[in-house]
Amino acid sequence: MSGKADGKASEQRELKALQEALAAEHAAVYGYGVVGGRIREGRRTEARSAYDAHRARRDALTREIRDLGGTPVAAAAAYALPFPVPDSAAAVRLAARLEDRVAGVYADVVRATAGERRRSAAEALREAAVRAVRWSGESVAFPGLAERAATGSASATPTA
Amino acid sequence: MPYPPPSRALTGPRRRTLFASAAGAALLVGCSGGSGESRESSAGSPSLAERVRARAARDSVGLVERYDAAIAAHPAAAERLRTLRAEVVRHAEAFGGTIGKSGATTSTSPSPSASPSPLSSPSPSPSPSSPATEKDALVELATAERALADRRTAALADVPGELARLLASVAAAGAVHAYLLTEGAR
Repeated sequence: MSGKADGKASEQRELKALQEALAAEHAAVYGYGVVGGRIREGRRTEARSAYDAHRARRDALTREIRDLGGTPVAAAAAYALPFPVPDSAAAVRLAARLEDRVAGVYADVVRATAGERRRSAAEALREAAVRAVRWSGESVAFPGLAERAATGSASATPTA
Repeated sequence: MPYPPPSRALTGPRRRTLFASAAGAALLVGCSGGSGESRESSAGSPSLAERVRARAARDSVGLVERYDAAIAAHPAAAERLRTLRAEVVRHAEAFGGTIGKSGATTSTSPSPSASPSPLSSPSPSPSPSSPATEKDALVELATAERALADRRTAALADVPGELARLLASVAAAGAVHAYLLTEGAR
């Protein structure tokens, strides 16, 4: 196994992890659009700033993927919501779910990358975890690590 | 691993074989370590990863001790703090640390001031002491959680992927704890 092939393989893993993070950020941006339309007045600003944060991360990931020679995955036209979102309480639950999903993909980016990309992914994971608890009110021991979660949430995310 | 089992090193000719292959293996390790970038788990220095992991375990055990002190000093906050403490215990264990049962903590390096305080003692003082007011105790815990999360975020740059992922997650949990403790102190 040559160092070159090895470097190629790790670059592929890196690209794959970044693409998955981008797909999750696309979904989060879409999801927060739904959240913003349903959430009560008092929490609208918070939802708005989360929406902005995810747009910024989405744009940063798009640049990183291009830098690596990849073609950034596109957003889906629409996403299936994990549950109906008729009111503010459901919107808050959806927001928490979106953050959990994003935390998971960034944990994988941390594993697949090094240097500045890894640092940035760790930061994104941290921010997602804090936003998740702001919405849900409940902390989890290992944000983003599904294999260590007490309860599984396999079908928790908006899917294309 | 390319090393033959050690039992083969008993006789002369086999011993030479061991030396030969051990040297070859060392050469291979040297090559892949030098040519690749250090994002592969095999390329990171095991001793550095081990040091980071052991440090993370000790830090989490130390944090559990702080929670214990705050819980002992401020029973009114105990219920909320116990939830967070339980998560810190899981962090310590994930890094290979051990926590004794029912509040007693054991770290890999024995703390010099750890002495069991009997229940009859008028002012029990666990090794890390907790501030007098509940609010100050929560603020202090929040500060400790945040500082540790920052340190872990910095440390994850140099370690293999899987450990980095765990450190990032636990750092995120620390930031969450700091947030909840700060909210609680208001």
